[in-house]
Amino acid sequence: MTATATRPAPPRRPRARRRGISRQTREMWVLMLPALVPVLLFSVGPLLYGIGLAFTDARNTRVHETSFVGLENFGRLLTDDEFWSSFQIGAIWAVSVTVLQFLAALGLALLLNQKLRFSGLARVLSVVPWAMPPVVIGLMWKLVYHPDAGLLNDLLGTEVNWLADFSLALPAIIVVGIWAGMPQTTVVLLAGLQNVPKELYEAGEMDGAGTWRRFWSITLPQLRPIIVAITSLDFVWNINQFGLVYVLTQGGPGGRTRLPMLFAYEEAFRYRMAGYASMLGLAMAIVVLAVLGLYLWRQMREAK
Amino acid sequence: MRFRSALAAAAILTLTAACGGGGGDGGSASSSNEPVKIDFLSLAWQKESVAANKQLVEEWNKANPGIQVTYVQGSWDNVNDQLVTQFAGGTAPDVIHNDSPALSGFASDGYLLDLKDKVPAELKGDIPQAAWDTVTFDDGKGAQGVYGVPFLQESQVIIANKKLLDASGARVPTADEPWTWDEFSEAAKKMTKGGTFGVAWPMKSPVNKTLNLALNFGGTFFQTADGKTTVKVGPEEREVLQRIHDQLYKDKSADPAALGQGTADPLPAFYQGKFALLPAGVYLRQQVVEQAPDGFEWVTLPAPKGTSAQQGAVSQTLSVAQDSKHPDEAMKFISFFLNGANQAKLAKGDWLLPTSQTAAADPAMTTEENGWDVATASAKNLVVAPFLKVNGFDEWKSKVATPALQEYFANKITIDQVAAKLVEDGDKVLERYQR
Repeated sequence: MTATATRPAPPRRPRARRRGISRQTREMWVLMLPALVPVLLFSVGPLLYGIGLAFTDARNTRVHETSFVGLENFGRLLTDDEFWSSFQIGAIWAVSVTVLQFLAALGLALLLNQKLRFSGLARVLSVVPWAMPPVVIGLMWKLVYHPDAGLLNDLLGTEVNWLADFSLALPAIIVVGIWAGMPQTTVVLLAGLQNVPKELYEAGEMDGAGTWRRFWSITLPQLRPIIVAITSLDFVWNINQFGLVYVLTQGGPGGRTRLPMLFAYEEAFRYRMAGYASMLGLAMAIVVLAVLGLYLWRQMREAK
Repeated sequence: MRFRSALAAAAILTLTAACGGGGGDGGSASSSNEPVKIDFLSLAWQKESVAANKQLVEEWNKANPGIQVTYVQGSWDNVNDQLVTQFAGGTAPDVIHNDSPALSGFASDGYLLDLKDKVPAELKGDIPQAAWDTVTFDDGKGAQGVYGVPFLQESQVIIANKKLLDASGARVPTADEPWTWDEFSEAAKKMTKGGTFGVAWPMKSPVNKTLNLALNFGGTFFQTADGKTTVKVGPEEREVLQRIHDQLYKDKSADPAALGQGTADPLPAFYQGKFALLPAGVYLRQQVVEQAPDGFEWVTLPAPKGTSAQQGAVSQTLSVAQDSKHPDEAMKFISFFLNGANQAKLAKGDWLLPTSQTAAADPAMTTEENGWDVATASAKNLVVAPFLKVNGFDEWKSKVATPALQEYFANKITIDQVAAKLVEDGDKVLERYQR
């Protein structure tokens, strides 16, 4: 957007240029307006409002007078054990889901990239979870994990209450998270694989490189930009995950699966502390931006 | 520059004007010959109960062409989240179905209408004062108000597998002479043999259950001094906690598989005879009647008693939103909906106890069939649950008490640790609400 906006006007319109804004720039803004207004109104507006709320003691009540409290919410956040434990759970969740999801998806993509029989059908099947809304996925997996009638206990012959066990609940939802997010990652990686030039493999083979060597020295480096893009997107998506976990455990048992977004939701809509919840949201946004910025910056530097 | 911002401003103005116009139309259209429209948020979920609710709304709409009620279906799972949003956005329904623990917060936040002077005398007299006490709260400014009409109450009973109960040789308790907790534990022990457990405690949501039962030994969990409420876990509060824990880990008479389950989850195992006794709310009888396999025999037993048989009571309620445009019409609808005859229908549909004395005298409420006699008799033990009036109880419950009790019943922490958690972390939470 900026690139277009600052492009100097074509030289055959010297008069327009002298007036500061060329006609082209003006036309561009007029044309962009219909798209821009909803963005400002429904995205930027609420975002700024939310940031504003984070510095007040706003509560979702009818009788409360909201006043500006500066950094009080932030101070409380830093000393709130509940927040830190939720943050820790969020970090474990986001990192393990992203990494494991990537590894599983890479394996699946490599497999689907082979010329196997029924590979077309398999490709379609692997995308199926993508077509399901998180709530449906949650309900489905709830049945899989059901302590009495669940598929998993039937298969293993155990009687474990997966989603209510203090130490098993988080791993159990991580598995669901991996399953739910795999299709996107697989499809993107598969597209990337198909763009790797065949000549490179042929050349590698001529030089006597084995399968593993070809994967390590050709496939991975070629996929690198795609891997960076999809893992960062997955990370943001996962750390902000809400619906899936809300349906599966609602943050239980005993807060063991209370991701940061669930925590913020509870603060805002159960305890009605709108100001504090906004600060939570703001803090999470900053954390995500920081982690992502660092990761992308390192990847870019290495790529150069 | 100026051209651009002027255009943007114009666009935003038109948009907001359009939105404002759309929102405002709904309210101003109540001229004299048009019927008043009332939204009724109902949380009925059992099939019979939804049918009873809808039928009553239909009856009302036919008899009152001037006041048309729209039935809106809600769900207990997320009603409070939904209401917080709707209240804040000014789109809350006029008549709201909820339960008394939730009313305290909404009342002090100013979202609910004080019905003290609006409830007609007939309705007021039909419901005993003990039930009205469950809906009387502080209005956030120090005065007391009535923020709902209580109509259904839940008490705890024990649903028992008749075959296993008879085989154990334990005394069969009656409404007049319930088991003591000692007898209860003894009976559970007798029934435990060969892979069958005596009792199952589904403790996914342990707080209300244990707090209501704790009253058996006078355990209140909260104390108020100088206008400041704090948590207390003394010997009275520990009794029931310790006894349930003993059944699980000392007597080993309680099925450990049920521990993490919700109230209705252990039912399949109950039908298979994996355990004999299931302490539960009276409403669970409905699912047993509906789902139990043919030939499965079961009975309803009264809850055990400690130093008393008292249980904490919460009520289901109907309230009117403060911002409702037609509060008087809403109240009229509520008085119709909750008269004696209709309460009996609703109670039957939900398998709960009516607050209305007329309804409680209905023969359908005292029949021996499906344990109605035991259930209705337990109503006399209901007293206002002390936690009802505690501001911040909901947060204490989900942040402190639920995890702490879950860990305690999972034998991960000791009774002293759970007591310390409930008190120390609990007081911190409550402080937030007492500033």
